[in-house]
Amino acid sequence: MASTSISSSAACSSGHVLGCGAAIALALVVAAGPGVRSAAPRFYPDDPIWSDDDRAFDASEVVPIEDTNGYDFVVNTFTSPGERRDVRAMNVNTVDEVPDSSWFTNRIGRFGPAFTAAEAVRGPDTLAGVSLQGWVVSGGKSTGVQPGFRMTDPSGQLYQIEIDPPSNPELASAAEIIGTAFYHAIGYNTVDVYLADLDRSALTISERATIRDPLNGKRRPLKRSDLDLVFERAARRPDGRYRVLVSRFAPGKPLGNFRYYGRRPDDPNDIVPHEHRRELRGARVFGAWLNHDDSRGINSLDMLETSGGGRGWIKHYMFDFGSILGSGTIYAQRHRPGNEYIFEQKPGWLTLTTLGAYVRPWQRIDYPEVPRSIGRFESNAFDPLKWKPEYPNPAFENMRPDDAFWAARIVSRFTDEMIGAIVKKAQYSDPRATEFMTAALIERRDKVVAAWLNEVAPIIQPSISSDGIITFTNAAITAGAAAPGGSYQLQWFRFDNATSARTAVGGRQTTPDVSARVPADLLAASEFVGIEISAAHPRHPGWARPSTFYFRRAEGGWTLVGVERG
Amino acid sequence: MLTGRFAAILFFCLAGANATLAQEPASRAEADRQRREEKSRNVEPYKPGGFERAMHFAEEKAIFILGREGLYPKLGSLTTGSGFAYGAGFRDRDLFDNKGMIDLWAATSTRGYWATEARLTFPRLAHRRLLVETWAAHREYPQEHFFGIGPDSSRSNVTSYAIRSNLFGGRAGVRPFSILLAGGGLEYLNPRLGSGENAEVPSIEDVFNPITAPGLGESVDYLRTTGFVEVDYRQPTNARKGGWYRFDLSHFDDRTTGRYSVTRFNTDLRQFVGFLAGRRVIATRLFVSTSETGPGEVMPFYAMPTLGGNDTLRGFREYRFRGPHAILGQAEYRWEIWSGLDGALFYDAGKVASRRADLNFKDLESDYGFGFRFNTDNAIIFRVDAGFGSSDGKHLYIVFGGVF
Repeated sequence: MASTSISSSAACSSGHVLGCGAAIALALVVAAGPGVRSAAPRFYPDDPIWSDDDRAFDASEVVPIEDTNGYDFVVNTFTSPGERRDVRAMNVNTVDEVPDSSWFTNRIGRFGPAFTAAEAVRGPDTLAGVSLQGWVVSGGKSTGVQPGFRMTDPSGQLYQIEIDPPSNPELASAAEIIGTAFYHAIGYNTVDVYLADLDRSALTISERATIRDPLNGKRRPLKRSDLDLVFERAARRPDGRYRVLVSRFAPGKPLGNFRYYGRRPDDPNDIVPHEHRRELRGARVFGAWLNHDDSRGINSLDMLETSGGGRGWIKHYMFDFGSILGSGTIYAQRHRPGNEYIFEQKPGWLTLTTLGAYVRPWQRIDYPEVPRSIGRFESNAFDPLKWKPEYPNPAFENMRPDDAFWAARIVSRFTDEMIGAIVKKAQYSDPRATEFMTAALIERRDKVVAAWLNEVAPIIQPSISSDGIITFTNAAITAGAAAPGGSYQLQWFRFDNATSARTAVGGRQTTPDVSARVPADLLAASEFVGIEISAAHPRHPGWARPSTFYFRRAEGGWTLVGVERG
Repeated sequence: MLTGRFAAILFFCLAGANATLAQEPASRAEADRQRREEKSRNVEPYKPGGFERAMHFAEEKAIFILGREGLYPKLGSLTTGSGFAYGAGFRDRDLFDNKGMIDLWAATSTRGYWATEARLTFPRLAHRRLLVETWAAHREYPQEHFFGIGPDSSRSNVTSYAIRSNLFGGRAGVRPFSILLAGGGLEYLNPRLGSGENAEVPSIEDVFNPITAPGLGESVDYLRTTGFVEVDYRQPTNARKGGWYRFDLSHFDDRTTGRYSVTRFNTDLRQFVGFLAGRRVIATRLFVSTSETGPGEVMPFYAMPTLGGNDTLRGFREYRFRGPHAILGQAEYRWEIWSGLDGALFYDAGKVASRRADLNFKDLESDYGFGFRFNTDNAIIFRVDAGFGSSDGKHLYIVFGGVF
């Protein structure tokens, strides 16, 4: 704009009066152009949106991206893929929530008490249960460390069958059942998983069944001896049958995995860098709670779904929960996962140079004696702020207090009863396992909520009543993550939606209450008003990070239209 | 003219501004749609970079090349001191519906050693309760070290000899419990000696004679019978805790002259104590070998147990000590630096003895050192050990495989 003005002055000095006027007009128009674009309102009439139509454009031409263990490890450990920036998540709506999309569907997070324990337990399952009668073995299992194979039901639906290790019966299958239910209730897309009894003698192998030979990688017909090898590594029940995990293949065409960074260049709907997606950043909180140390791109799944007209879109799944909680899939989880990256420079060099005299803190954790089906899991030493996945995750690295607050609120909505009901779904044969897992998850939930609900001013559900009183709720106190006390600082402002300008109204108020009167003149003369609320609590310095709320005048009152935290 | 030009510019600018105004979304949904529409005009297929393609190849192809069925590259070591070996093999590990495996290979090494072997193994018979194995092999080791017999052999007497052997044998074992394997075996072998091919040291016959190196100049065929008991409760196989114990009794029956028969009893005890989540391990080993011959018989030097080298006394050269009896104690403190890399401090002590009565802990040769192990849960893939503190100088060993 400044450079445009200088050009105009130069034109005028040449003495062409009319030309000078035209130049001024031109300058004004050119200056106005960008001004018009930048004047996009802060809040559109349809804000806040609760559904992101990321299936709008045809993505049927996308090609699979299938990362490998080594590549994913190296890229994320020794480079910094994606953008590491302290910037607000880019897919949140104006009230700081995640709209429904092909990545995420609001369940317990938005609907709270209306989302029942029964719904949480059912999870993604479309069937009440499965029986393997009439199913045929239709192929080998070529990925992952857990022994298994593929079966097809009489309708032709494909399933993956996986069996627990002999050393830890029920370990991985329970982890998968529990993890799937939790992640689904949180809002992620997950595949149906069921538990079933398998009679090995009744297995029938399809004539068309093939397996990728584990010895040479070539596909060949599946033989019964291949299944013998699977069952050699499988936990058998005393009655000779096997408890198996049955995972239903998701509909659509497999496209490999998504990444926790970047965007698919071939998907027109994928416009938000994944490291800036709120639900991927916040997955760090859920990962800590459930010890999903395997939260990485290769444990995700992209499926191409198509409409009748051939238009396609990608649905993104969280995938493979067999090594969460205390499970290492085929053994009790090791001590390091969840506590330190596979490769972390500082502790390694310290250990090397001190000949092992330096002891990593996690090496001193005293894990409780638990049934083998639990593996290695605990809640006493668990510190959610120190939890780590197997290697750096770009989205996790970008997690900010507002992302964590969003996720912690979701975690806080899982009641003790709901957690217990989900754990029961795993059908541990030892009641002590059910009891321990439930108690551990409750304690870990409480720690997660306490850690991340208090990182910002935990103000939620503000509303302005018709008589000019604002009331709000302290989420941390409500969740039991903070003791009542402290005070709130309120600063009202008038908000210009066209320019995003804020004009303070009145002075800063301090109150111990969760309600206050709105300045009368503010409500009378504004279309948009806002309030910045911070709090002071001796034990929670994070409360000083303010939360800001925007209200729009609506028929019959004021509607919350914007939320910013931190 | 000029005015007209400005008017035209003004028109286009206004038109542009109007177009801008027309594109301005009226809703959040429309704004997002416009962003997607813009991207839809610029979509392009995903193109993996060179590093990504290389990693894919390494993980999906190269691993199968190293561990592949059928023809495969044989890499590693042939025996202690052979140097790096390379060759080719053929294997089939799912014979008879995964019950058996066959492995044939031939390899040569950087020090001129070479060997070939065919081995047929059935490790999973009777639900893994029964192990049966048979083999045939030919080995040519052209420059094995010999310093003399007994604890007082002199370092300055280093010589080398060549040994060529054909071996045919088999063994069977039963596993009544998962940690216990007991069985026996039979093997025919015909070691033949020759002049050492190490140009830097004399050949054995230049320094020793059949008195000081029994068996020198003789050609003997042996039939070896063995019985063994093995207990293995290491966790995991590259142990963080547990133990591995083996006892074996062998009789080498001289089928040619009847003068070189030997009976030997070996005890090998390995114990692993882990602490700090198994990331620190104290590993100890006690190996004792004692042999005897019948009246009027002598033990050929090449059949005697040896000490020295990368897996026994690491501060000494390969086969530095040789005698009818031997005792070896080893201790290592291993600490995990990163997943897959352990550091180790070690101490080795041992001796050979000419009389069984001398098998004790007096006058032991010893060394100490440090090393690094690149490992998995199941095995040490590669290690570097540096041995010091001996009367034999400093030694650096770079080895594919573990120590104990």
